[in-house]
Amino acid sequence: MTDRSRLEAVLPLSPTAFHMLVSLADGPRHGYAIAREVEDLTEGRIVMGPGTLYGSLQRMTASGLIEEAENPGDDGLHARRRRYYRMTRLGSAALRSESERLLRAASVAQERLGT
Amino acid sequence: MTDERPDRIRGAYARLLGLYPQAFREQYADELLQAFDDRRSEPRFVGTVGGWRLVLFLLRDFVTSVPMTHHRRNDRRGVEGIMNDILRDLRFSVRMLLKNPMFTIAAVTTLALGIGLNAATFSTVYGLLLSPLPGTEDPDELVQIYREWPGIEYGSVSVPHYQDIRDRTEGVFDDVASWYLEPLSVASDGRSERTIGMVVSANFFQTFGVQPALGRAFIPGVEDRDPGAHAVAVVSHGFWESRFGADPGVVGRSISLNGHPFEIVGVAPADFDGPVNFAAPPIYVPLMMANVLTPAFNRLEARGSNSMNVVARLRDDATLDRATERLDAVLLQLREEYPRSYENQVGHTVVLQRDAGIHPSFGDAQRGMSTVMMVVVGLLLLIACVNVANLFLARARDRQREMGIRLSMGASRLRIIQQLLTESLLFSLVAGAAGLGLANVATGFLANFRPPIDGPWAFNVETNSAVLWFTASVSLAAGFIFGMAPALQSAKPDTVSAIKGASSARVGRSRASSALVVAQVALSLLLLISSGIFLRSLQAATQIDPGFDSPRNLVMASVDPGLQGYEEARSRAFWDRMLDEVSALPEVSGVGLAVVAPLSLGSSDRTVNVPGYEFAEGERASLHYTYVSEGYVEAMGIELAEGRSFTRQDDENGPPVMIVNQRFADRFWPGQSALGKIVETGGREWEVIGVVETGKYNSLGEDPTEFMYFPLRIMFRSDRVLVARAEGDPQAVLQRVQQIVRAADPEMPVYDVRTMEDHMGIALLPARLAGSVLGIFGLLGLTLAAVGIYGVMAYSVSQRTRELGIRVALGADRGSVLQLVLGEGLRLAALGTLIGLGGALAAAQLVRGLLYNASPIDPIAFTLVPLTLLGVAALAVYLPARRAARVDPIGALKSE
Repeated sequence: MTDRSRLEAVLPLSPTAFHMLVSLADGPRHGYAIAREVEDLTEGRIVMGPGTLYGSLQRMTASGLIEEAENPGDDGLHARRRRYYRMTRLGSAALRSESERLLRAASVAQERLGT
Repeated sequence: MTDERPDRIRGAYARLLGLYPQAFREQYADELLQAFDDRRSEPRFVGTVGGWRLVLFLLRDFVTSVPMTHHRRNDRRGVEGIMNDILRDLRFSVRMLLKNPMFTIAAVTTLALGIGLNAATFSTVYGLLLSPLPGTEDPDELVQIYREWPGIEYGSVSVPHYQDIRDRTEGVFDDVASWYLEPLSVASDGRSERTIGMVVSANFFQTFGVQPALGRAFIPGVEDRDPGAHAVAVVSHGFWESRFGADPGVVGRSISLNGHPFEIVGVAPADFDGPVNFAAPPIYVPLMMANVLTPAFNRLEARGSNSMNVVARLRDDATLDRATERLDAVLLQLREEYPRSYENQVGHTVVLQRDAGIHPSFGDAQRGMSTVMMVVVGLLLLIACVNVANLFLARARDRQREMGIRLSMGASRLRIIQQLLTESLLFSLVAGAAGLGLANVATGFLANFRPPIDGPWAFNVETNSAVLWFTASVSLAAGFIFGMAPALQSAKPDTVSAIKGASSARVGRSRASSALVVAQVALSLLLLISSGIFLRSLQAATQIDPGFDSPRNLVMASVDPGLQGYEEARSRAFWDRMLDEVSALPEVSGVGLAVVAPLSLGSSDRTVNVPGYEFAEGERASLHYTYVSEGYVEAMGIELAEGRSFTRQDDENGPPVMIVNQRFADRFWPGQSALGKIVETGGREWEVIGVVETGKYNSLGEDPTEFMYFPLRIMFRSDRVLVARAEGDPQAVLQRVQQIVRAADPEMPVYDVRTMEDHMGIALLPARLAGSVLGIFGLLGLTLAAVGIYGVMAYSVSQRTRELGIRVALGADRGSVLQLVLGEGLRLAALGTLIGLGGALAAAQLVRGLLYNASPIDPIAFTLVPLTLLGVAALAVYLPARRAARVDPIGALKSE
């Protein structure tokens, strides 16, 4: 499978997946941190319970958008071992192309609205 | 509370993780719980409100994530797809239901009968044995306390004993209440009636956690002091409605109880019927009024008189064991304080209210009976399910093509099973609704059932939410059971041959269903013949000589002047007046009094000694007796064999005399005249002055037994039954008797007013109940058997269309095809009939003791029932046979 066709298979991203990728853009995070970040990014519009969160993480792992990362070991308060996730190359490409698509759509909309 | 809740939520959450697929669980269970903990510590999920918010949040999470994790990434159906499938299946199922009305009616009726019978039986068992007391608060904390004697596990307690328990067990019980049932004469607005009221401790309503619907309950600490000081009463909701027309101004009104004025202070709530499962006392009176209601007897101070039932509420921190320990300690104290009253008592028995049923001493019997009933009706439901499965299988043959086509078009087997299960579940829900309707009718009958003995009976039997849940689960389970087999069968067919219409031989299965049909016929025959035996035995009972003349013209009425506060002299005067006035009636040819009417299912007995007679080891010396007045023997039409009957002079001033029956005389003085002989009993010597023919005393079915009559005038008991021989219309005489009582005292209640013939119905009650229940079960069994035969034969005919077609094509005429199929079905029915007859013969020997006829092998029951059953079976076979005879040979052959 070429990179191109793999990318097409995962596009368009669902809003949840998009925001989850955004939350991973600046480095690996564990599950709950991703959920909190998505909540912040969407101003509380997307709130993921444990099941929805790990269901999504499972799917995104399976489609190659993200992968498990090493635990950086700086958990501080939560010394317990957590699973960390980071964006793959495919994930990064998908996020880029999706954000470009959204940007184009947004600018067309703004032009037509005359703002 | 707030500290506990998140932990409980976490426990529930951890268990609910089972909803996710195993692979997902294995991979993420730790993370899910970690994420849960993280969420839990967020400020918005803290506290009680936060806890509820968390529950809602998690529920929403489950709803979205469970289907998501169950579907592989490439499954494009999604949640919406599944919902669409279900809706489509439902629409299709409704169409299938309507398309084939005969099939639908047969299947739904069968299932509805099975489910209805289960729901009705469950309602009864639940209402009488399992339901927590309706209308009470936290019924699980309630316990019943009994005194334990050697050989008596569940003994009642006396009032002083109750008060000691109440005052000395504060550490283990929040409240200890007590009650007993007392016959009451109730009068208000010039109307009087006799009923059974409940005399209760002042904290009775408080202990049960019952708030009155109107007014107030009794006041603990006030109305449980000063005997006779607080003449107040609480009426039941039902009595308030029936007697006072639900008048909101009833509080404060006066009502006469046993001739004493009482003020109504409250109305009990509608859902509370007292602590007994089968009676609804209309009136509650404080215990401190007991001696006012029955002045003859100082119940409040008699430590030896045990008639109270005790109910207590366990403290939150107490256990049954601790309660028993505490009660044992109380007993030790009491034994020191009152050595004479407690030397024999061995302890206390504490029973959880919810385990007590009707009465804990019936414990095993009531559990056993209900288990047997539930198993029998469960079996009938199972048979119903198998029958419907047969019907579905027969139809599945018609739909094999449809399934084959769907499979070859790419439908997954899972989808087809899903479709068929939707159909059967829809069936079972329709049948469940119909069954619930049937159960409602049945429990309605039961709730209105009144034993032919006056009393505030109330059978707490209704279809409540427990029954609804039960029925719903039974229906769904039934739908699954009868739906699964055909669904699996249908989803399996070999696509090619299915489309072509070829049938695969399933000899094994059809043999199994044949065996099932035989079993059903046998079972329903057994039940029906048993029912027939009982009904015929009832008929025979009317031929039994009860030892007195035509019960149709014998009337009886009971009165208890003691309830109206009459003391002994006034009571005796009242009864003499009754005897005089009733015997003066021109339409009455004889009148007498007794303490209890014959054939009342229960009588007293006392130990006798007969000078000159040696009782053998283990020989029964305790014999039945009653007290009767002068004129009784004549009014009843009991034949006097020797000597004389009682006169007015046979009272406490005269010599002690008695009358015995012939069997008594024959046993103790065989070959001699009994007149002048002496019998020692009750510390006195009695001279036999008369011998009467042997009759029936307790029940019509009893074996001849010895019996003694003593003169009523030597003892005093205020309640008596008057019997009079009517020469004209017995109902008119009953009216006249009531008028005479009312003329003597307008507020005097008369009860158990009926002819002896009606009264004897009580003695026939067990046989009548057994006959009806078995009859209902038997008819149900017959219906099931008919459907079963039909289903199997229809299936067999549909399987053999081709074979039959060839036979017709080869020249077999329609008559011989009809005969072939009919013969096959009837062979099954005949085999079942034979087995059933054998079982019925055995059962007849078992129930022999309950029957009134000489031989349980009743010729009519044993011929009429099997013939009827074979007739029904023939009809059930005829329908598919006719279809077989109409097979179009060309069509049958071409379909291959």
